[in-house]
Parts: sequence; structure tokens; C-alpha cells
Amino acid sequence: MELVTAKTNISRGVLGEAEIIKNKSLLNKWIDEAGTHLTETGNFAKGVQKKAEENFAAIGLPTKRTEDFKYTNIRSYLQDDYAAKNGSASLTESEIENVLIDDFVSVVLINGKYIPEYSRLKNLPKEVTIKSLFKALEEGNEVAIKQFNSGLEKTTNPMAMLNTALAGDGIFISIPENFSCPIPVHIANICTGEAKNFYNPRHLVYLHKNSELTLIESYHSVNHTGKTFTNSATEFIIEDTASLENYILQDEDILSQRNDVRHFTVNTGSRMNSVAISLNGGMLRNDPTIFINGENAEVHLNGLFIVKENCHTDNHTMVEHRAPNCMSNELYKGIIGDNATGVFNGKILVYRDAQKTNAYQSNKNILMGDKSTINTKPQLEIYADDVRCTHGTTTGKLNEEALFYMRSRGLNEKLAKNILLQSFAKEVSNTIKNEAFRTLIEQKIEENIQ
Amino acid sequence: MLEIKDLKVSVEGKQILKGLNLTVKKGEVHAIMGPNGSGKSTLASVIAGKEDYTVDGGSITFNGKDMLELSPDERAKEGMFLAFQYPVEIPGVSTINFLKTAISEIRQYRGLPPMEAKDFLKVLKEKQKVVEIEANLTGRSVNEGFSGGEKKRNEIFQMAMLEPSLAILDETDSGLDIDALRIVATGVNKLRTKENAFVVITHYQRLLEYIVPDFVHVLYQGRIVKSGTRELALELEGKGYDWIKKEFSELAV
Repeated sequence: MELVTAKTNISRGVLGEAEIIKNKSLLNKWIDEAGTHLTETGNFAKGVQKKAEENFAAIGLPTKRTEDFKYTNIRSYLQDDYAAKNGSASLTESEIENVLIDDFVSVVLINGKYIPEYSRLKNLPKEVTIKSLFKALEEGNEVAIKQFNSGLEKTTNPMAMLNTALAGDGIFISIPENFSCPIPVHIANICTGEAKNFYNPRHLVYLHKNSELTLIESYHSVNHTGKTFTNSATEFIIEDTASLENYILQDEDILSQRNDVRHFTVNTGSRMNSVAISLNGGMLRNDPTIFINGENAEVHLNGLFIVKENCHTDNHTMVEHRAPNCMSNELYKGIIGDNATGVFNGKILVYRDAQKTNAYQSNKNILMGDKSTINTKPQLEIYADDVRCTHGTTTGKLNEEALFYMRSRGLNEKLAKNILLQSFAKEVSNTIKNEAFRTLIEQKIEENIQ
Repeated sequence: MLEIKDLKVSVEGKQILKGLNLTVKKGEVHAIMGPNGSGKSTLASVIAGKEDYTVDGGSITFNGKDMLELSPDERAKEGMFLAFQYPVEIPGVSTINFLKTAISEIRQYRGLPPMEAKDFLKVLKEKQKVVEIEANLTGRSVNEGFSGGEKKRNEIFQMAMLEPSLAILDETDSGLDIDALRIVATGVNKLRTKENAFVVITHYQRLLEYIVPDFVHVLYQGRIVKSGTRELALELEGKGYDWIKKEFSELAV
């Protein structure tokens, strides 16, 4: 498959020798600090990590001039003196207890590292594999090795390169062919620890042909004593006619800064729905890329951000239609209060061969405060001639006419506002199919709309 | 019940109401007529408490209480209702849930216990019949995708459910065909009692054939320039507003 002229918008390769050396030395510092460099511990990842190091050194951390990071200046969150660390367990079971959800399979990750003793896998069907990604690599798991060695290899995203170079041990989930996992798998991600820690967990989720999975990711802060930066990367492979429901809840403290790269590879006849709910954190960036590689695939990508105080949230999405007869539908909504800032930068890229593509994208925002900010940039890039693509964005204050109407019927201002905001948010929360999790999200939304 | 004295109101520095007086007693129906731009809708909005207006002078009292001190929702809780000229669409909120919330808020304000679900349903069915509104409309999001007639009927339905003691109908007849007008007017007539009152704001006499007023007032350039009985409306129908405009043109100066 050939892409005519388009190239993703990361500027690269124009750095001088001195800057490249600086990037290399920063990277080497982080590699030493992380201390789990795979090139030294196994034979499976040598090439890919070396290559990622070189690629990263050539472009360095994104700056304000990097188009894809224009509204999120990574440098203002992640500085050179952040120390690369790997996740470890330093919490008690009771501290973890209240972020788990009853009835789901619970997988506990602390700073990105899988902690089996806190996880609850007893209801997990034996067909499903859940284990540490490094363990899967060491055991010679072919799928994991193949994917790790090729997955993010071609990325142009410096943060993804950095993740590969510094990869911390994350989670590996595999659903076998023709198996529908009857119970949602909940990954409870807990961020804890001291200031200036820098984590790079790497995860892999593999849905073999005709399998099904509901995967919930939630993000929390426990005993968090200073600003930390997490730069995670997760690959989702959805083989032919498989189906993934993926829900994300970001509900952390103001000290938490995260850049979550997700790559979804969607194959023939498969289906995915990813819903990202961002409520609390210091800096929350979701950076999903969807590669639609097979015909008749269906992609739903939804997001809701309700942020306040000084929170910065960024949804940077890329949907690449590389095959004909597929559909994608994106809906992102934001409620931004106080001094918070929101970013939506969504791009749909339709390759020349991807005829009969249906691609939709919509972003709607409500600004609650005089100092609340949204930067929204919807983009379409189309190289096929027989497609149906639309995008649109609206930003405004809460509808004053509707507020007065409701107040004139006896609802006080706060209640009227709450109802309007909740109905605004519901369009996104309704895309969560799992009822138990949807109910939990609706409660969270209610708590966060004030 | 409602007493408006020397009410002066401006919007962005421009005076719209220039000393308006109006007294409404319970059991009465008052019609306020007037040419476009005379201040009819401003009057309705100010009584309901819309905040885009500046009250420069005068008073609005309702059952002895100073309404200008109260927020729009408190006025509603005191028993006022405004039927909007342009009812607003509220996506994602069904009329039934909206009314449930409104009724519960109003009852709480009045120190009444919450309405039981079965009682609410009973009243709902009864009032749906009164205003001839289809149940599927009330189950949908408030006014979303409704036709002009459906929106107006939904206003009257909400009025029926909230049982205000004073209802102000702001050009409820605008944009209605004759059948819709009849249904709306019949609804209002069924809701008339000795205890409640209506202020019907309209440009045309047409609505007053169905909702027969006790008093008719002509609003012109921010003041009530003529008051009378139903015959005044008929006279306006015959002569048009030019007659008023001529007679009171000195007010413009």
C-alpha cells in the first residue's frame, strides 16, 4: 500500500550535530536510570531499541514548533532532570482496593508495572493470557516478540520512539481465536511516587481472529508526592472480525502528567470502540492512531474531557484509512472550566486505495470560565475520490437561552447548569456499552460537573 | 395578585418600558396588545426575571412580594409561568424528566412533600389529555425537533403540569395555524379558574376570539396607552394600530 504524498507532521532530521549529541546524552542518562534496557537482558529487542534511540536522537523531544505538539509543549512538563524509573509496588493492598471495580477481572499496574499479587484474575477464563510483557518476551512468546520488534518501528512520534528506547515492563494481553472474553478486563493504573519520576510503560493487547474483549483502563494517583511524567505506549492488534471495546478513565491528581500513545491496528471486518474520559490530572494527553488495514472495518473513537483548575488535556487523534469500504466515527466533547485548557487535534487520512470510506469527526466544546481555553483543529487529508468524510467543531458558552428557560420553570441556576452539562456529556458516555462501567462514569461525570 | 407600578426598563442603554402600570387580580384574563417593538416581549421577560434587562425604576409585586428581588426560578416557585414566544430546545433532557425536576423543586420551595411517582403519572396523563398533546412528544427531549405548533402545545402542557397562579403567554399564537391555535386556546380555557390569572400578550385579535379576555390593554412605546374590555380588541382589529400610533405619536418625542 502506497501513500501518495502525505507524511505525518512530525518535523524531523533538521537538527544540527550539537543538538543530536545533546539528545543522545539525555537519552543515555534516562537509559542508565531506567536500567532495564532490553538490549542487555534479552536477544529479542536489540534492533528495535537501537533504531528507536537513533530516531529519537535525530529529532529530540517535541517542541512548540512540532506541529503535532503545537498546543502541548512537552518540554514544559518533562524536563531533563526527570529521572527515568520503572514501576514497582510500594503500596498496600488497602490503598489499591478502592480503585478496583467489583465483578471485573482486575489487573493492577503501579507506574505501569504489572503487580500480580494485587491483581484479581480468579474470574479470568483460562483461554485469556494476561502477564508481564517482558515475561512474555523472555518466554519467547512469538506474537509478543514479533509485535514488539515491528510495532512502533515506523512511528514518527518522538514520544513513541522514547517509549521504545526506554520501554518499561507493562502488560501483555492476548485473546485466542474465536474466543469472546465474557468478563471485562479492568487495568487499574496507579501512579505513585516522588517528584520528577519518569515512566515509560509499554503494553501489548492482541485480539486474535474473531475474538472479543472489553478492556477498561483507569488511571489514579495514590500517595503521589510530586510531579511525575508517564509516557506510555500501548499497541492493540485487532485481527480479522475481532471486536474491541476500550474504555479509558483518567481521574488523577494535579501532579500527574501523562502522554498515552495508543496504536490500534484494525483488520478486515473487525470493529473497535475506544472511549476516553478525562476528568482530573495535571497534563493528560491521549494520542491514539488507528491504522485501518482491512476492508469492512468499523472504528468508533469517542472522548469526553471535563477539566478545571489548571488541568491541561489534549486529545490528538489520527485515523488512517488504508483500506476501502470502512467507516470511522469520532466524537469528542469538552467542558472546560477555570484556567484549564483543552486541545482537540483530530486528523483523518484517507489513502488513495481507500475508496468508499465513510469518515466522520465532530468536536464540541463548552467553555465555562473567562480564562478557559480550547484549541481545536480538525483535519481531513483525502487521496481517494469516492469517499464520504465530514468534520466539524463548535465551541461556545453554556446556552443562556436554555438556562433561562429552565430557570423560568423553577430550576435554580446550578441545577439547570448541571442538567445541561450532563446531557451534553451523555452523548459520549452513552457510547460505553458496558452498563456497570457506564453507570460509574455517569456518577463521575456528575461529581465533576460543578 | 400582580401589581406593576411605573416600570421602567432598558436594554443596553435604550429605554424600552417607560413607566408601565398594570394590575391583575385572580380570576382575570388580561390581554396586552400592541404593534411590533412596543415592548410586549420585554414586559413578559422582565416579569419572568430575564437578566438581560435593566430595571431603571418602578416595581413588580406578586402576591405582595417584590419580584425584582427574586431570581427567575424563585418567581416560578412563587407561582409564575412564562410561555415563551420561542420555546428553547434542550437536547438530551426529556420533557417528563424536566417536569419531574421542576415540580419537585417547586414543591420543596413550598414546603410540600415530594410527589409520588404514581401521582405524577396520573397528573401527567390527565394534563396530556387537556392540552391534546401526544405522549410520545412529552417523552422526547424538550422541544427538540418539534414543529412550531408542537412547541407551543408543549408550553401549554408544561403550564398545565406546573399549575401556576399567574401565566404569561408571550405571543403563543405566533406561527400557529388555526387548528393549533384552537387546541392551545382550548387548553388555556380548561385551565382557567377563579384562583388563577392569565396575561395574554398578542399582536393579533385572533387569539382573543378563543381566549376571551376580561381586560384589553394597548402597549405603545413602552406605556399602556389605552385600556378597555374585549371591544377594544375588536376596535383594534378594525382600525389597525395606525390609529393608536397617530393618537399617541407625541409620546415618541
